[in-house]
Amino acid sequence: MNADTPRLRPPRHRVDRRAVWWWTSQSLIITVFLTVVPVVPALIWEPPRAWFLLAAALIGGCGLVITVVMPQWRYRVHRWEATDTAVYTSSGWLWQEWRVAPMSRIQTVDTARGPLQRVFGLSSVTVTTASAAGPIEIAGLDHALATQVADQLTDTTQATPGDAT
Amino acid sequence: MSSPDEHVPLSPTDAPQEPDVSPTTAWQRLHPLSVWAGALVAGVFMVPVAIVGTIALVMVGQPLWAPAPLPATVAFLALTTYLDILRLRAVRYRVTAERMEMRSGIIAKAYRSIPRERVRSVDVAAPVYARIFGLCSVTVGTGEKVGSGSDQLQLLYVTTEQGEWLRRDLLYRGAPSNGGVSSEGAADPDAPVETELARLRPRWFAYAPATTATLGVGLGAIAALLGANAQSGGRGWRWLSEQTGLPNAQEVSSFVMAQALLVLPLALSGLVVSGVVVLTAAAVETWWDYRLTREADGTVRLRRGLLTSVSLSVEGRRLNGVTLHEPFVLRSVGGADVRAVATGLAAADAQKTSAKSRLSPAMPRNEARRLAADLMRTSDSPLDVPLLPHPRAALRRRFTRAGVVTVAGAVSAATLAWLHGLVGAAWWTVVHEAEREIIAVPLATGVVESSPSWVWAVLAVVIAAAAFWYAVGSYRALGHGLHPRYLLVRQGMAVRDTVALERSAVIGWRITRSPFQRRLGLADVAATTAAGKGMYAASDVGLGQGLDWADQAVPGLLEPFLVRDGESGESRS
Repeated sequence: MNADTPRLRPPRHRVDRRAVWWWTSQSLIITVFLTVVPVVPALIWEPPRAWFLLAAALIGGCGLVITVVMPQWRYRVHRWEATDTAVYTSSGWLWQEWRVAPMSRIQTVDTARGPLQRVFGLSSVTVTTASAAGPIEIAGLDHALATQVADQLTDTTQATPGDAT
Repeated sequence: MSSPDEHVPLSPTDAPQEPDVSPTTAWQRLHPLSVWAGALVAGVFMVPVAIVGTIALVMVGQPLWAPAPLPATVAFLALTTYLDILRLRAVRYRVTAERMEMRSGIIAKAYRSIPRERVRSVDVAAPVYARIFGLCSVTVGTGEKVGSGSDQLQLLYVTTEQGEWLRRDLLYRGAPSNGGVSSEGAADPDAPVETELARLRPRWFAYAPATTATLGVGLGAIAALLGANAQSGGRGWRWLSEQTGLPNAQEVSSFVMAQALLVLPLALSGLVVSGVVVLTAAAVETWWDYRLTREADGTVRLRRGLLTSVSLSVEGRRLNGVTLHEPFVLRSVGGADVRAVATGLAAADAQKTSAKSRLSPAMPRNEARRLAADLMRTSDSPLDVPLLPHPRAALRRRFTRAGVVTVAGAVSAATLAWLHGLVGAAWWTVVHEAEREIIAVPLATGVVESSPSWVWAVLAVVIAAAAFWYAVGSYRALGHGLHPRYLLVRQGMAVRDTVALERSAVIGWRITRSPFQRRLGLADVAATTAAGKGMYAASDVGLGQGLDWADQAVPGLLEPFLVRDGESGESRS
């Protein structure tokens, strides 16, 4: 490899520390739900009870491991940055993703907060471009900060010429 | 190579009678005959059904009810036609200097309005039942949501002249239209000149059957016959063999087993021939009278179709690139087709979108490349740019996948071999019975019984060879490159797509890495865009290589987020 090989530097800002708890509780809810699914038939049917309980134990075990590992991992990966010219984010844990969108091509900027995010005082900022590849999302920002970022992005977008397509 | 001089300038042969339809600002209605077009279609399908119903009722012994279906159908048709008339009366549309507007709805009123500069494509289609009445449908695509509905505005139906005028006027970006466009005929000398990019050559139809579907279509036809036979509990075949003196199922199957070397190739060629016939017919229907032209204002216009004639216009500025599409079978006979990477061509789902973006039938590869270059209006074709290969690690990833397939193939072959050893067992007769129920001529179980057990080993080896051959092919398909105005990516073994995307149409980057890619130093670097599929990726490119490419393709966008090993990454702030 030559010395000039570029690498991606991580975006400047981390998401809020509380996002770890948000991801943990999210993962825990899904784990509990998926574990209960095989437990129900185990309570009803006598003969295959052991097999259903085994399945429940396997699912529950995997789910717990993910619940412990995933949020910390995500917290290390999830980052964001907004410059005068572009929005830059990184996300994911096993499968990771970096996205860049120039200000001149941004169509809409929204903030959204699900019920679980609200419990932890968090918000997501969604930045939409004209591409069918989907919006860029910065999930797990402090609510006040998210509003501020969205306002700032909206202002910058409006000040930047371009027809967004 | 074709120079621009070779393009035939066409005279305005079919200049529409525009003075009749020029009052742009007035609200207009759909054509009243469109109701009857709809009624005709419904009638053609429903009246025969009603007649069959009457006959069936008589035969079942319910003669009292026999006269019912026909009047009921007529009443139903009358009702739907009446509702259609109401719907039709409620629809008004107009094209003003700034926007196209449409009002519709009887009870729930709807009003939709598209700014004219947002119009990306105009699709004029005339299905055969509308053509009888001289009508056509007009679909206006915008590439973004209009109000609460889809991103399209559809008129069902208007006269052919009106459709032609809408097509011309909506994409016309010249002087603001105040009805003056209509006088273009003689006054404006260069307005109606179009350049022909491609025209159908009948020998291109030879490429139509070059798809994997050829066998499948034939198989489908035969499966439908067998299915019908099974539905009747095998009576169909028995009846046929009694009537015509054909051998019965047992005789046929023993004959097939005895003469397998003769019968199997014959059956296979029968499949191929029926597939060829069906697919060629479909291609003729779709691509008859195919013409691709560029009009004076840069709009690219596609015309095609035998029964359903289609005319699709895409604003030149919105044609952001071209895909050279080469499915495996077509590629191996030296063919390709050309697809548009354009904004405003989106349809209901991905499959329809890709069907709509087709700009040419399957044609010889060289001609497809020439057409693609003409479409992109570059002196040196972006498709001639040599593409950079991806790192060896990408090949290793594909070998790993091929290895997994090989193991899976070997395991299933071993399982089958084990089952083969149990052929004598009791349940085997059950399988026999089941097969005899499903198809009249039991072949599969017979083949299994008569084949020696080493066949399974051969099967495993064939699967392994195919998997590794596929891996090498798909690695060699990978490539990315840069042209002064376009970026290029190529990938795919089953379907090889070479995409040229305008660099100015890139509206962002998305870099994804799986755990395996991180270990091997690879990444998928994708350009996002408003056009076409929305995202075009260089798969399994070396991370540094891919970022370099992205950085050069759109200078300045990725630059602030890159660190180069030569400098200190932390200094920027």
